[in-house]
Amino acid sequence: MFILSGSIPKDFFGGIWFIIQNNYPLYLEGVKYTLMISIAGTTLGLFLALLITIFRIQESDSRDNFGTRAYKRISVIMSASYVEFFRGTPMMVQAAIFFYGFAMIGIRIPILIAGIIIVTLNTAAYLTEVLRAGINSIDKGQMEAARSIGLTRGQSFRYIIFPQAIKNMVPAIGNELVVNIKDTAVLSVIGVSELFYMGKSIAGTYYRYTEAFVTVAIIYLILVLITTRILTLIVKWINIPNKTTFPTSQSNPLAVN
Amino acid sequence: MEIIRVNNLHKSFDDVEVLTDINLTIESGSVTTIIGPSGSGKSTLLRCLNQLDNVTSGTILYNDEDITSNQTNLNELRSKIGMVFQSFNLFNNLTVLDNCIIGQEKVLHRSKHKSIDNALNFLKQVGMYDFRDRKVTTLSGGQKQRVAIARTLSMNPDIILFDEPTSSLDPEMVNDVLEVMKNIISKDYTFIVVTHEMEFARDVSDRVIFMETGRIVNDGTPNEIWNINSSERLKRFLNI
Ligand SMILES: Nc1ncnc2c1ncn2[C@@H]1O[C@H](COP(=O)(O)OP(=O)(O)OP(=O)(O)O)[C@@H](O)[C@H]1O
Ligand SMILES: [Mg+2]
Repeated sequence: MFILSGSIPKDFFGGIWFIIQNNYPLYLEGVKYTLMISIAGTTLGLFLALLITIFRIQESDSRDNFGTRAYKRISVIMSASYVEFFRGTPMMVQAAIFFYGFAMIGIRIPILIAGIIIVTLNTAAYLTEVLRAGINSIDKGQMEAARSIGLTRGQSFRYIIFPQAIKNMVPAIGNELVVNIKDTAVLSVIGVSELFYMGKSIAGTYYRYTEAFVTVAIIYLILVLITTRILTLIVKWINIPNKTTFPTSQSNPLAVN
Repeated sequence: MEIIRVNNLHKSFDDVEVLTDINLTIESGSVTTIIGPSGSGKSTLLRCLNQLDNVTSGTILYNDEDITSNQTNLNELRSKIGMVFQSFNLFNNLTVLDNCIIGQEKVLHRSKHKSIDNALNFLKQVGMYDFRDRKVTTLSGGQKQRVAIARTLSMNPDIILFDEPTSSLDPEMVNDVLEVMKNIISKDYTFIVVTHEMEFARDVSDRVIFMETGRIVNDGTPNEIWNINSSERLKRFLNI
């Protein structure tokens, strides 16, 4: 698969240096997939979350007829179940079910696409909760005033509530991207050649697991640090008070501040 | 000509009745103030009139149409019955001017140009023209309430409901807002004002309604309320 030049030094740092020198194209390939999947997955997940949130926040009022009421009720139950399922099960398990499930019924999904879909579905579940919390944090008077001049509920969300909520949510969305950069590692279970997968195969080549994985850890750390710096700049740029960070309750949230 | 007629209105939240058998007619172009102790149901009555709250039983006729019916287009109705809130509720993501044009564009489907003209006109009238491009979050309470009044006027409503428009203002700003309100009183609008500003109520009202525990207890001209048929209870409330 790749060419070995000379033999690997025995000591730890020498080993790391050797591994980097001889394998950086593989690591870069891994980084490419990791970034591609996490950026695409977070972006698509945000759009999917917007859609799911529309169903999630339906509310019956006493004027609704039976059909409308049933439709709203079902919307809420379905969207809430979606969120519960994806937040309540490990992404690694979801990836395995998704990938092997489709394989079982004879549909081959390209591995990269499968990875992006899994991250998208997962992100959508988390961001739906973020969106909902963001919407709920807007003072009720905003909606009342919007309705009092005759805007529909949909218009009120679109023009008044949502623009205010999304500003508060930017840090949480950024945080989700950071989480995804790290969590794409679990996609190695279905063979996506992202960073961790590359690390594993390099480790196996030399039987120097610690050195290979320390290298992987350093690369993740660099990716995350760069991403959080960029996010901080974005947050500053749109001038958001730091207080408005939402916890995503996902593993190890690296707060953007 | 009567513009509003309320018949046997009852309103409960869960099992607690907060409005009991309200009967009321409002003349077009008149100024009605509603007074009464805290919790007597004043806000709830106002909110039933523009259907922000729905009634438990009874009817509300607006120009002879029962607006508690499912057939009513509430958005169209609310564009004609404006409301000014105690806590202003300006749209925080919009500028002063945009607060006054969004409803015109999205609800009344007026052109941008016409909406701006109309809004600027009313902003002038409330003395907020110079602030038209400001973010509303940078305004003082009194300024916010004046913008809120302009936002409501910009919809060219028939009726304007005021729910304690000066209650969350610093004392020195109360008079500013009351002056603006006095200024816009005309036969073009029907005013229904919930207020604790007794002097204002007495000066500007055609009619004063005193509510207690969800009922209308007294209903008359300011002269009748203050001088003629006041009960002991009403006298105590009015401090006379
Ligand atoms: N959404 C609600 N759910 C339950 N109870 C409510 C609700 N809104 C109002 N109430 C109750 O209804 C009663 C009347 O309230 P309302 O706000 O109409 O009184 P008010 O006369 O406007 O009082 P204030 O002068 O304090 O504004 C109160 O007992 C209040 O607690
Ligand atoms: Mg009140």
